[in-house]
Amino acid sequence: MTIDWWTLGLQTINVVVLVWLLARFLFRPVSRIIAERQAAAQSALDAAKAAQAEAEAARAQAKSEAAEQASARVAQLAQAQEAAKQESARLLTKAHNEVAALRAQTEAEIAKEREAAQTQMAREAGVLASDIAARLLSRLPEGARIDGFVPGLVEAVRKLPEPTREALLAQGKLALRAARAPSAEETTRIEAQLSEALGGPVTVDLSVDEGLLAGLELDAATAVVRNHLRADLDRIKAEVTQDD
Amino acid sequence: MENPLTLQPLFHLGPVPITSPVVISWALIAILTLGSILLTRNLSLTPSKTQTVLELFVTTIEAQIRDTMNREPGPYRALIGTIFLFVLVANWSSLVPGIEPPTAHLETDAALAVVVFAATISFGIAQRGLKGYLATFAEPSWVMIPLNIIEQITRTFSLMVRLFGNVMSGVFVVGIVLSLAGLFVPIPLMALDLLTGTVQAYIFAVLATVFIGAAVGDGPARAPSDTSDKETPQP
Repeated sequence: MTIDWWTLGLQTINVVVLVWLLARFLFRPVSRIIAERQAAAQSALDAAKAAQAEAEAARAQAKSEAAEQASARVAQLAQAQEAAKQESARLLTKAHNEVAALRAQTEAEIAKEREAAQTQMAREAGVLASDIAARLLSRLPEGARIDGFVPGLVEAVRKLPEPTREALLAQGKLALRAARAPSAEETTRIEAQLSEALGGPVTVDLSVDEGLLAGLELDAATAVVRNHLRADLDRIKAEVTQDD
Repeated sequence: MENPLTLQPLFHLGPVPITSPVVISWALIAILTLGSILLTRNLSLTPSKTQTVLELFVTTIEAQIRDTMNREPGPYRALIGTIFLFVLVANWSSLVPGIEPPTAHLETDAALAVVVFAATISFGIAQRGLKGYLATFAEPSWVMIPLNIIEQITRTFSLMVRLFGNVMSGVFVVGIVLSLAGLFVPIPLMALDLLTGTVQAYIFAVLATVFIGAAVGDGPARAPSDTSDKETPQP
């Protein structure tokens, strides 16, 4: 077996030339287009990733804004609730105050009416007591409406302070009201007993006041001495009223 | 009787005898080149069916190189791809009546083996440097230097003989059966030759990849799907 060296050399050159030709016209263009497609795909992927990142950022921002809005809504709701609560408390307080004022006013009116009623009742009771006392006194002898009260009047005058008694004595004529017109004898006896109590002679200027019911009342500039049923009734009424 | 393995010149270009494998190789080169020009003239980012097949072919070769050499396939893509295509088309050329495959002659297979041998040395020196490449012959020990040198030669020789034996035997068998049995009887054998031609083209290309990969050594870590278009140094 022999080898044709010319053929071997030519075939070697042919192979090398074919390698160059196919590299030039086949492998390099195909590899280039593959690389370009991969670059385009990578670019599209990068763009998609960028868009995805942008979308993620937008979604995060929207989420943040939604959270902020929710927070603001909650805050506004809480604020509105607080305002409503305060307004409710204010209205409630105002209503309480109005009710309290109305109640106080009503209670004052009731108290006033009660007081007026009590006053009226006291007044009517006084009138009734006066009528009763007058009717009862009408059954007593006439002398009892004055004579029975003279010792008490004299005793009260005697208990007056010394300067008052001296002033009464210096006055000389004392104004004296009686439940009925006394007789001359009764007037003399009253003057005698008062002179004895004051330690000097005095006269009386008697006047009639049926409102006294029974008894006497010494009415001087420096002192007033009462010893009659009207004063007793007034005192009793005042005590009863105070007790109420 | 004339030796069927002996080449007879068809014509002479000056002192150079031109034999049938050379002429057929020129025809194959013209067909492959023109086909490549036609197929790649309208490449676009939106591929057609033809472009898809082309890209599948190129990416398959790149994946094979990447898996075998553990390196980026750019510098080796044109050489390995061309060897595969040329051997495949040359083996399949026997289907054309009256055409004898160039790879059925020892000179063509020897030329391919010489190119692979030269490429192995060229890529090894380019990658490791002359000193570094020569140092690989002393691995794992200087005692191995003669054996490594012999291995370089014998594996190139085996590359040549393997392809020659398979293709030549197929051609001879088909010729013998055709002369003995008739026109349509060798068809199954021709179909078998197609398969054999494909397998031999794949084996030749893979072995060339393995030899070059052994010469350049393990590459750096690479991205799994990176297909950078680097220039292919010619061997």
